[in-house]
Amino acid sequence: MKKRVLSVALSAAMVAAMGVPAYAESTEAATEGAGSGVVEVAKNDLAYKGSLDIMHFSTSEESQANGGSDGFRTTLAAWEDAHPDISVEENVLANAEYKTQVATLAAAGDLPDVFLLQGMNTKQWAAQGQVMDLTDIIKASPYYKDYKQDYFTPFKDGDKIYGFPVLTGGTCTVVIYDKAMWKEAGYDKFPETWDDVEKASDYFNDKGVTTIAFGNGGQWQANSDFLSTLGDRYTGKEWFQSLIDGSGSKFTDDKFVAALTEMKHLFTETKIFNEDFNSVTNEDAREYYISGDAAAFIGGNWDESYIATTLLDSDKDKYNNIGFAVLPQPADATEDPNSQNIGLGYAVAINPKVADDKDKLAACIDLAQELTGPAFASYVASKYALGGLTQVADVDLSAFDQVTQDFYNYSYVDTTPCEIYDSYINSAVWGVCNQELQSMLNGEMEPQQVAEDVQKAYEENYLSSSQTETEAS
Amino acid sequence: MLTTIKPRRRTVILYLIVPVALFVFTVFVPLVTALVYSFFEWKGGPSKQFTGLANYQQLFRDGVFWQAFGHNIYLVVACIIGQIGIAFIMVMFVNSRMARLKGIHRTFGFFPSTISAVCIGLIWSMVYHYKFGLINWFLRIIGRPDLQQVWLNDSKHVMLYVTIPLIWQYIGYYMVIILSAIASINTDVLESAEIDGANGFQKSVYIVLPLIRNTMLVCITLCIAGNMKAFDNIYVMTSGGPGTSSMVMAMWGYKVSFQQSNMGYGSCISVAIFILSLLVIGGSQWAIKRATRNMGD
Repeated sequence: MKKRVLSVALSAAMVAAMGVPAYAESTEAATEGAGSGVVEVAKNDLAYKGSLDIMHFSTSEESQANGGSDGFRTTLAAWEDAHPDISVEENVLANAEYKTQVATLAAAGDLPDVFLLQGMNTKQWAAQGQVMDLTDIIKASPYYKDYKQDYFTPFKDGDKIYGFPVLTGGTCTVVIYDKAMWKEAGYDKFPETWDDVEKASDYFNDKGVTTIAFGNGGQWQANSDFLSTLGDRYTGKEWFQSLIDGSGSKFTDDKFVAALTEMKHLFTETKIFNEDFNSVTNEDAREYYISGDAAAFIGGNWDESYIATTLLDSDKDKYNNIGFAVLPQPADATEDPNSQNIGLGYAVAINPKVADDKDKLAACIDLAQELTGPAFASYVASKYALGGLTQVADVDLSAFDQVTQDFYNYSYVDTTPCEIYDSYINSAVWGVCNQELQSMLNGEMEPQQVAEDVQKAYEENYLSSSQTETEAS
Repeated sequence: MLTTIKPRRRTVILYLIVPVALFVFTVFVPLVTALVYSFFEWKGGPSKQFTGLANYQQLFRDGVFWQAFGHNIYLVVACIIGQIGIAFIMVMFVNSRMARLKGIHRTFGFFPSTISAVCIGLIWSMVYHYKFGLINWFLRIIGRPDLQQVWLNDSKHVMLYVTIPLIWQYIGYYMVIILSAIASINTDVLESAEIDGANGFQKSVYIVLPLIRNTMLVCITLCIAGNMKAFDNIYVMTSGGPGTSSMVMAMWGYKVSFQQSNMGYGSCISVAIFILSLLVIGGSQWAIKRATRNMGD
């Protein structure tokens, strides 16, 4: 009898478990826009027959809440269908694992035929001959005139271009706020200055609500999702370009130290953020917003996708109350108050070893062009209101709900783009920066000390290697 | 007769060749290659530049590495006391006549060591969680919300907080080893001691401990080796933070090698972990043997 009860219980559990993904899939369709969901890639004649290795991080799980990943997977599948003689061998990993594995393969000189290159690795990998110079190939692309040229910047070393920027241009810093909660607090829209946010925090703290949820448990969030934009408000764009070029800017410059000082003030001397911001990740912090424990959240486009998808399923009213705003402006900042860091962090790159086989190289180039070309761009624009490398004329936003339209306008129309710090320079520098930022936001380090240590790492790991590479070339 | 059952030398070699080759390939070769790479400046990719002892010079100046080494030593000491010490006490209780449901104690004691370290890290992250964690929830229900804090963000005590799950996880593991060692002690010895009026503490310290000295030495060696390469659950709980307050050597080696793509210096750190672990294990064995020279002989 006991066995029978147990088997019934187990069967019920199995049925329930099977039902969950089925429900998830049916709700996922509701988040999609008006697009047909069909990708039509160019069916160019390719002489190559055989296998082609590609490594990427658009997993099926990721593609359920990320339009860029869905577009990538769908375009790749369409390309495979268009070229039945080529067998595409995919190695798909989650983003964190992808970064580790691709670095390991690069170290071993064993990269796949086609892979995704992270902006900050461009100079180093190019100097080591790990990535093919695609400058002429990109200029000869049939879609070249429609490419948004700014997106190439992280993948350039001098005049040479090493990849086709891929996926969708997404902001790394967006304030997502609950319009209804802020209206109750007396704000028709999100405050434009930190001083006003601080005043609002008195109201929210009295109500036991966190004003802005933020998560820096992974250490990179304070840099990518905050400092990169806040720094631009103090330094402007030329300062960072000079850092990339190694032509004079320093992390110890007064204006950058002022940005760090403001950041320390906001996190340690005000009650704006959740107390555990330094030990929870962005994934935890966005749950505070979703559950109503926080009136706003700061994160990247990946967080926006998750919050929108979750609220659309669970709380339609709260979904309709989502508002987007740029990072508020500090009182002593003098640069563009409307900036937000946006870009494409990865590019489709080709292993130089492929050049030995001309037909295979032609296939790799065709794949890279299609993964970033009009087929992909039209798909993500019509289905998700997102943009990629290739410009799509006349994106019809009317088929999308107000939240999706607002986010499109925030990302591509109403704001001024600035650079994502860690798409450039290199990971050794940002490793030091991220670690020390976390200590600084704990009140254990001074901004000047952080700036000096990051500058030291920059000189030792970036400037010196840039000089060595220049001498070698 | 004996020669008929003794396998031929060739058979022995054939049987051994596979495991030995596997060992050489998976342990010895990476160790030697890491040693070779540690003399190069290698930021990944095919180009390596021989720099002699430059990486080792950098290692001596690397404050984060030595801070991480200090954290590993902290882990070793805390875990020898916490894991082996508590395991020994629990074994003595479980073995006592008063203990009931001994099998359940053994099973449940061992259970945490079967869970993956990543899961342990996640479970304890929830225990320490500021808003939803067990500890802060308990403090709220006993009316002491003032004692609530962001536990894993306390840089002064974060090492203690990440050590507690490690201790909890491996108590059962050492319990099983110590239990099997105690099972081999002749019961006559313990009964004689009882007749002579020895209490539980005296039996444990003056009879059981000396008789299982070699097993305890193995436990301590395992504990040191395990904690010198501690990585996974600390990585899940804090990623070495806040800042570098809970950084351990293996994590620093990982971050340098894979997040900073500095394979040459990362290899140097790996070699240093190997050498320092050997020194700590060798040193502790020497110290224990010297301290217990006259015990149990």
